Amino acid sequence: MDFEPTEAQQQIRTQAKALAGRFDDAYWRKCDQAHEFPWEFYEAFADAGWLGIAMPEEYGGAGLGITEASILLEEVSASGAAMNGATALHLTIFGLNPVVRHGTEELKQRILPDAAAGRLHVAFGITEPTAGLDTPSITTFARRDGDRFIVSGQKVWTSKAKESSKVLLLARTTKIEECAKRTDGMTLFLADLDPKYVTIREIEKLGRHAVDSNEVFYDDLPVDARDVVGEVGRGFYHLIDGLNPERILIAAEALGTGRVALAKAAAYAKDRVVFGRPIGQNQGIQFPLADSYAKLKAAELMIRKAAWLYDTGQPCGAEANMAKYLASEWGFEAADRSLQTHGGFGYAKEFDVERYWREVRVMRIAPVTQEMVLNFIGQHELGLPRSY
Amino acid sequence: MNIIVCVKQIPDPETPAASFKVDEAAKKVIPAQGIAPVVNPYDPQATEAALRLKDAAGGGKVTVISLGPDSARDAIKHALAMGADEGVLLNDPAFDDIDNFQTANALAAAIKKIGECDLVLMGRASADWDMGVVPLGVGQALGVPVVSVAKAIEKTANGVKVERVLDDGFQTVEAPLPAIVTVSNEFGEPRYPQLRQIMMAAKKTVQVWSAADLGLGADATGAANRVMPLEALYVPKVESNVEIIEGDSPEEKARNLAQKLRAAKLI
Repeated sequence: MDFEPTEAQQQIRTQAKALAGRFDDAYWRKCDQAHEFPWEFYEAFADAGWLGIAMPEEYGGAGLGITEASILLEEVSASGAAMNGATALHLTIFGLNPVVRHGTEELKQRILPDAAAGRLHVAFGITEPTAGLDTPSITTFARRDGDRFIVSGQKVWTSKAKESSKVLLLARTTKIEECAKRTDGMTLFLADLDPKYVTIREIEKLGRHAVDSNEVFYDDLPVDARDVVGEVGRGFYHLIDGLNPERILIAAEALGTGRVALAKAAAYAKDRVVFGRPIGQNQGIQFPLADSYAKLKAAELMIRKAAWLYDTGQPCGAEANMAKYLASEWGFEAADRSLQTHGGFGYAKEFDVERYWREVRVMRIAPVTQEMVLNFIGQHELGLPRSY
Repeated sequence: MNIIVCVKQIPDPETPAASFKVDEAAKKVIPAQGIAPVVNPYDPQATEAALRLKDAAGGGKVTVISLGPDSARDAIKHALAMGADEGVLLNDPAFDDIDNFQTANALAAAIKKIGECDLVLMGRASADWDMGVVPLGVGQALGVPVVSVAKAIEKTANGVKVERVLDDGFQTVEAPLPAIVTVSNEFGEPRYPQLRQIMMAAKKTVQVWSAADLGLGADATGAANRVMPLEALYVPKVESNVEIIEGDSPEEKARNLAQKLRAAKLI
């Protein structure tokens, strides 16, 4: 067993940290407060070729694995960029996985080089208000019309829709009641977010204000048949291929956010003197931080294992789910403890820990809730009856 | 054009004051826990200058040298990721706790060993000790001119033309080659390494040379042979007091303040 990162992985960590370090907490505080997409940050990473880290080299990527991408996103989050920074990058890093794996050669050539270079922004339209995690219940429908499809319906939690020109969109092409299996009959499209047919409405939310999340309404949007990703009717299966890498990367982001929150707490606890001694000398402050340190280290190991399994082509569903579960649980706990350590100042925006706290909280809900992960572990790892 | 760039790894200057500690008995800085060392911030500017001069000359080689512990390899890798061609790490227990003069001699020996070299570039100072004397020592050891604090460097027919930063303006000087030029932050932003170059740099081998490889004997290295012995190392205690100057009007407060400052011989 070898826990040593490769030379390349070490350099990726060092360089990702150095570039992310150019954007300090004040930058992220401003982007968050102004609800501004972090263009300067995004372009710095795009120009240096980081967006294509896990894309094949023949399409302008670096051809690296989820291990390397997870190191990148962990360091971005740990720089203080947290989810505002990580989300700005990760949609391109893992979101286009279905196109890489199932798109036609023509589609890949047309889309991936521009996406890897940061010129093309793609949003993801999967979740619907009435379906939630029960994806087969989506009602957005694409009807065939000659050599194109006409899409109508509504999606929710479509991140970065306002900055994107395209959307990876899941729609039913066969009604659920006409399918042999309820996971059949859905198709993935790489559609234009054409304002003539698409209405975007931003959702006010708890945090991660620099990257918008939206309700998106599709009203007879025409989509060329050449923009179908993979096979018609097989969209759900194409989509689930990308779920494990997504969970691993989200876990890495929760880990990074927990790390920066904990580092701030430790620095503050050393510095802040009350009743004649640093507050970090009190076990009531010190032990929760030490406990979080140990938990984040454990979560990191699960992330590394899940990424290694994925990159070596082995099944990684349980590890990817557990990495996401542990990192988001303990990342949030670390942020909460950091806020508590800071006392009243933790509640003030200028100390930034409230921003980490708000942002890492979403990892316990998205991309899958903690409860659904426990369902998965209960059913598939422990062999217990399905509970839902 | 063959250029050698000297780089150094230093404790992160952004280390919070509470994490910065020294061991007064051992006269050493204690590395801050959990805060990785970084490349001296002036050094990527020296590398940037080297890469631009190489490009302008239409060819040549940029070699990076660092004297330091194993981890200093990262400082070399950063320069390789920016586009430098080769790297050499000067690493030996005999280099522990040596002073600026011994460092300068070791770097000069490495530069001689590399051989063909038109120009040596360094950052204007290292941001840990901030003395800026090593380049002068290397110049002395090699017997070549040193031009410090450059904001622009241009290769000319006879040598280099360097625009230097002064307290109250700029000065343009010319020097024959080979020469040493130290680069200041006014030179401009260094390029950020591309992911593709980072991967190529990761594959490159950094040569490691010991004191013996440089022909340096026991009398030239080691803390016992420092030219500049370190007498004491401590974090100065900063005490501050606040005194509110009273007065019935702003004018009276100003008068009282001026009297206080005069009494303290500050004005």
